[in-house]
Amino acid sequence: MGITSSIHVGPFEIFYPLKPSVSSVQQYGQHNLPGRLFVVEGIDGSGKSTQLSLLHKWLETKGYGVVFSEWNSSPLVKDTTKLGKKKKLLTPATFSLVHATDFADRTEHSILPFLKAGAIVLCDRYVYTAFARDVARGMDGEWVRDLYKFAVKPTVAFYFRVPLETAIGRLVGARDGFKYYEAGLDLGLTGDAEDSFRLFQGRILEEYEKMIPEFGLNVIDATRPVEAQQAQVRKIVQLQLNTAKELRIRP
Amino acid sequence: MRQTYGKMLPGMRLTDLPGKLIVIEGTDGAGRSTQINLLKPWLEELGHAVLDTGMTRSRLAGEGIRRAKERNNLGRVTQSLFYATDFIDRLEKEIVPALRAGFIVLTDRYIYSLMARAIVRGMDTSWIRSIYSVALKPDAVFYLRIGIEQLLPRVVFSRGFDYWESGMDLFPGQDIYEGFCNYQAALLEEFDKLAQEYKFEIVDASAAADAVCDQLKKKIMEIVDPVRALAPAPRPADEFVNSLAAKIVASLALRYSELENSPAKTFPSTPPAVSVPPPRGNGLVSGI
Repeated sequence: MGITSSIHVGPFEIFYPLKPSVSSVQQYGQHNLPGRLFVVEGIDGSGKSTQLSLLHKWLETKGYGVVFSEWNSSPLVKDTTKLGKKKKLLTPATFSLVHATDFADRTEHSILPFLKAGAIVLCDRYVYTAFARDVARGMDGEWVRDLYKFAVKPTVAFYFRVPLETAIGRLVGARDGFKYYEAGLDLGLTGDAEDSFRLFQGRILEEYEKMIPEFGLNVIDATRPVEAQQAQVRKIVQLQLNTAKELRIRP
Repeated sequence: MRQTYGKMLPGMRLTDLPGKLIVIEGTDGAGRSTQINLLKPWLEELGHAVLDTGMTRSRLAGEGIRRAKERNNLGRVTQSLFYATDFIDRLEKEIVPALRAGFIVLTDRYIYSLMARAIVRGMDTSWIRSIYSVALKPDAVFYLRIGIEQLLPRVVFSRGFDYWESGMDLFPGQDIYEGFCNYQAALLEEFDKLAQEYKFEIVDASAAADAVCDQLKKKIMEIVDPVRALAPAPRPADEFVNSLAAKIVASLALRYSELENSPAKTFPSTPPAVSVPPPRGNGLVSGI
């Protein structure tokens, strides 16, 4: 099932051994971190954010210290990403790099320090989002995987699997129009936003399917009722908490 | 055909890039921008179109990096990737289009500085190399090498110590002088390794700027105009011709000074008549 009994750092081994001369800088990565990292993945409209928010509330109610980090939300990098998207400056390569920079800042400031402090960190989208999207945009798969080698390996990565048409059905009506890069309009597959979205997200789905065995993603059937999915998620998360009682901030 | 360091970016064609990519590398204060400011007008005068580019000048990430550096929370991995974003944006949007149009691209630093800085900050060598494996191999890398002893007075007596050039993000406990020495020494060590591996042409940057520039011009000429660079230098005139020339000059000078002193010297009151040669018999009749 891809569940591990303790946090590993790697296959993305995070941070690299520093030269002995640079002694004032801490070395991360070679030790197990006391926190837990749960991430949700899936295409837009898979319902992953809903599931993560339900998990968040449940963990807080149980008295755990929980921290949430969202894809593409670094205050340091945000303006650059916004500029790139607004002015349509991004190529597949710079799209990939600007998101990796954003993720690096969140790893250094919002994820690692909290895992060290023993918190539960919840991430809405993680490196797998980058692997799926960047490869769907034509980037070399190995290059993108190398790029994110500094990432912490999650305790559990949930993949909310949903057929494309179901996802689109949920999105249409819930939002106004498809965004340029989200629909892969930068690739020039087709001029129509909805068609392009369908083609691009289809490619992304293929990439996710390949990653299930590669990274041991924990598949949740996202066509099932919300409650049933949440019960499954909580059961899996609970297993990881039994071995980590000290995470609780309230008895 | 041009080559990359191993990986290809989507949509990048390596054929039809007739321009030349010339890299000026070196640590802070080695005089890179001084040299580029001398080389660019020189190349333009020779008739070459020149693009000069350098770190943090990308439209996408330049401003973002400047703002992030003003704050005190730019992490080391983030910093390395921010610079990579800046570099790839310039590679795709400036360098490659310029090479395609036949420009000479003079770049103030390239992937080597970015790799050296990241490695000194503890990043894994193979990680940073993998990121820059999509970069184009340049036509030449000139490494302006300068030791810390020669570098210090330049920095102290011109612009002073800069926070980032002194690696203060790496050595927060030290004063800025110690930081500068340690950081630049670590960079130099890294550069020397890269110089061997990537076959840099090492130029002694402790010499005067003009002398450094003359060396660079000679080497650049070999790349941008090998025919002219390889042509034999004009032969100096032999002794007989020289002495003859000296005699003519001397006699003319004497004649001139005699005229100067002559009391009969007057300016002609009317301009001398100008004779126009008659039109040649080319079949055309002038309008006069």
